[in-house]
Amino acid sequence: MNRKITTVLAIIIAGGSLLMNCQSDGNKSKKDDFAIPDSIFKDKPLMISKEAMNDIIDNISSPVEMAALIKSTGVPFNQKFLASTKNVDNLSTDFKQALNLGIYGCDLGYLNMYEKTGSILSSMQAIKKLADQLRIGHFFDFNTIKRLATNNENIDSLMYISVSSFNNMDEYLRENNRSDISSLLVTGMWIEGMYLACQVVKEKPNETLRERIGDSKIVLADLLLILKNYKSNSSFANLVKEIEKIKKEYDNVTISVIPGEPEMVEVDGMLMFKSNEQQIIDISDETLAKIIASIENARTMIINL
Amino acid sequence: MKHALKILSVLLLTLTMNHSFAQSDELVNVCALGIGNATYLKDFKVKLPANSPAQKFSVILTKGFVYKFVVCNAEGYEGKAVIQLSEGNNALVSNLKPDGSFAEAVGFSCQKTGMYNIFCSFKNNKEGAAVIIMSYITK
Repeated sequence: MNRKITTVLAIIIAGGSLLMNCQSDGNKSKKDDFAIPDSIFKDKPLMISKEAMNDIIDNISSPVEMAALIKSTGVPFNQKFLASTKNVDNLSTDFKQALNLGIYGCDLGYLNMYEKTGSILSSMQAIKKLADQLRIGHFFDFNTIKRLATNNENIDSLMYISVSSFNNMDEYLRENNRSDISSLLVTGMWIEGMYLACQVVKEKPNETLRERIGDSKIVLADLLLILKNYKSNSSFANLVKEIEKIKKEYDNVTISVIPGEPEMVEVDGMLMFKSNEQQIIDISDETLAKIIASIENARTMIINL
Repeated sequence: MKHALKILSVLLLTLTMNHSFAQSDELVNVCALGIGNATYLKDFKVKLPANSPAQKFSVILTKGFVYKFVVCNAEGYEGKAVIQLSEGNNALVSNLKPDGSFAEAVGFSCQKTGMYNIFCSFKNNKEGAAVIIMSYITK
């Protein structure tokens, strides 16, 4: 019960302080947005509407889900899988900062999932630095997260605040015509989530994780669609080339569905729908190996920018 | 003790809220407390005037996960949010039961990774504001 109470209070305090941070930075943020226009966005017409792009970015599933799947395999936490934060000061452009912010954000989800609160602080410092440079640092309540990270009783709150901070940053970027930065953030997160899954599968083959790597083909198509909007910029063009290499390997993955009889049950006041259909993901060992290699290449490119 | 803390929580939140949906982040925080044994993934904020069409959100849901959707209505609005999870044209589950009452939460045991839609409207087309918390149930 104590844990629950602490969680409740921590979330409320965090919410309040986040609100105050947002309010105090509100004018500054608006000013910054005008000072640094989203030039790519303004100069070139988008191939897809802003609304459609928002939908797509929303679609890209949370790195928390991949981290949860990884943990469910029983493979222990591995610090070596995580991106080094040593080069964070060398990330000099919005492009580099946003991609790597996504990488570190995903790593934070992995750390949270395994309750590695000790390692969270160095990851947090890098995240805070990049978020500040991208002028979205006010959505990240570093002090509260630091306080929670030093108290293992507050893992639920830590996870909630970390994930909601990233959601709020992403929402703010898109609302303020900075969807190019948002698309990089989600790309970095997706690549890192895939990278972590690939490393775990290499270490300990697991059918569920293998399937999730395979069905990421669905998200990959969306990701490419949003990145291509900005490929008039040479940095984006290079990134698109790298993601297209991944997509090429995914061409050999087939996904089919066997229909099933749906059922509805009520569990503890919750209406639960189960479709009972069966999704078959066909991915050969050779294709999996090629996908893993292409993901590793893309990730290496990003962290060495 | 637990009850006292709940009251304290509500008081603290009331102090920071202006009874306006502009403070929807606080409603998200409160709503996120009600997801029980689940892990927060995303939230959706909805504010619709009377007689508005449903607002649509798209999400990719992953095979093997059991998702939980909890709805919290904002104070000061008559409308009660009705959510419906759909895949294409197929409605899967809604928080509005056939007898007109609301389920506390709706769950979806995902058997197929893909794009799903969440539609949110307000019962009897009233004006309303709400947040939807999407989470997954921790096994």
